[in-house]
Amino acid sequence: MAAKPIEKPVEIKIEIPTNAYFMSGIRDFTLAMIRNMTDFSEQWAFRFQSVVDELCNNAIEHGSSLDDKIYITFITHPNQDIQIIVEDNGTNPDHKTAAEIQQIMETNKVKDIVTIGIRGRGLAFIVDQWTDELKIEDRENGGIKITVRKSLHDPKFQTQLLENDPTHIVLT
Amino acid sequence: MADIKFQFSDLLTLDSTKIVKVIALEGQLDESNVDDFAPNVYQLIESSNPGTKFILDIEKLSYMNSKSIGYISDWYGKIAAKTGVLIIAKPLPNIRDILNVVGLDKVIPITQTLEEAKNLL
Repeated sequence: MAAKPIEKPVEIKIEIPTNAYFMSGIRDFTLAMIRNMTDFSEQWAFRFQSVVDELCNNAIEHGSSLDDKIYITFITHPNQDIQIIVEDNGTNPDHKTAAEIQQIMETNKVKDIVTIGIRGRGLAFIVDQWTDELKIEDRENGGIKITVRKSLHDPKFQTQLLENDPTHIVLT
Repeated sequence: MADIKFQFSDLLTLDSTKIVKVIALEGQLDESNVDDFAPNVYQLIESSNPGTKFILDIEKLSYMNSKSIGYISDWYGKIAAKTGVLIIAKPLPNIRDILNVVGLDKVIPITQTLEEAKNLL
């Protein structure tokens, strides 16, 4: 029996321990979810895979202690957009505030590509350039909540897909 | 945990003075394994003669995160400091996409085949 097309918004929440060990599974889930539950192209499925990976790595490394958890929420609005929210509890002794993360991101954006260092490209380049909206907020418990949104009908996105992106694949 | 396999080999060339080393990667590079893998490449670069050319063959690499790109960028700097050359060869479309978005394609040559990479050396 063929699956019914999904017309209502769908929200999926995942809670994972703060260990990069689990990230390959989250990437596989993201890829499958974008392919099966949204109208985004194959290319964007891979891009969201990277966006989620970078947001989670940031939450694990900068926001959480070793025995903590992070929370990932996917909200898909059929034929409209996808929202991805990643939250940590701020239990890392060196955790940053939303304003500090924003400042680090803005600083990294203008750094030289080679001299920027090993880190600093995730939020500043990958997440920032592959989303339409990027909101960084402090949570009441001291953690950070990062929300990104990508519209299916963003004019910039359509132009890029059709004219400028040699790696784009349209699946019909 | 993501799995990464790697192989270092020497590429034979007609010019015996030209030393070309191939770093072939297979699997995924992410936060769970890149810090353990990276020292192998640093060691290879440090032990190589000045002017050595490197081809990073990533045909079988299905994922890389931003920190992996940071390491490649750092390897490039160390190789260039020893008057060597680094070329990235055969990336899958999703890997090429992520290399482009961080701007690494503006600094390190990227080729679709090993032959193209050899011709650039």
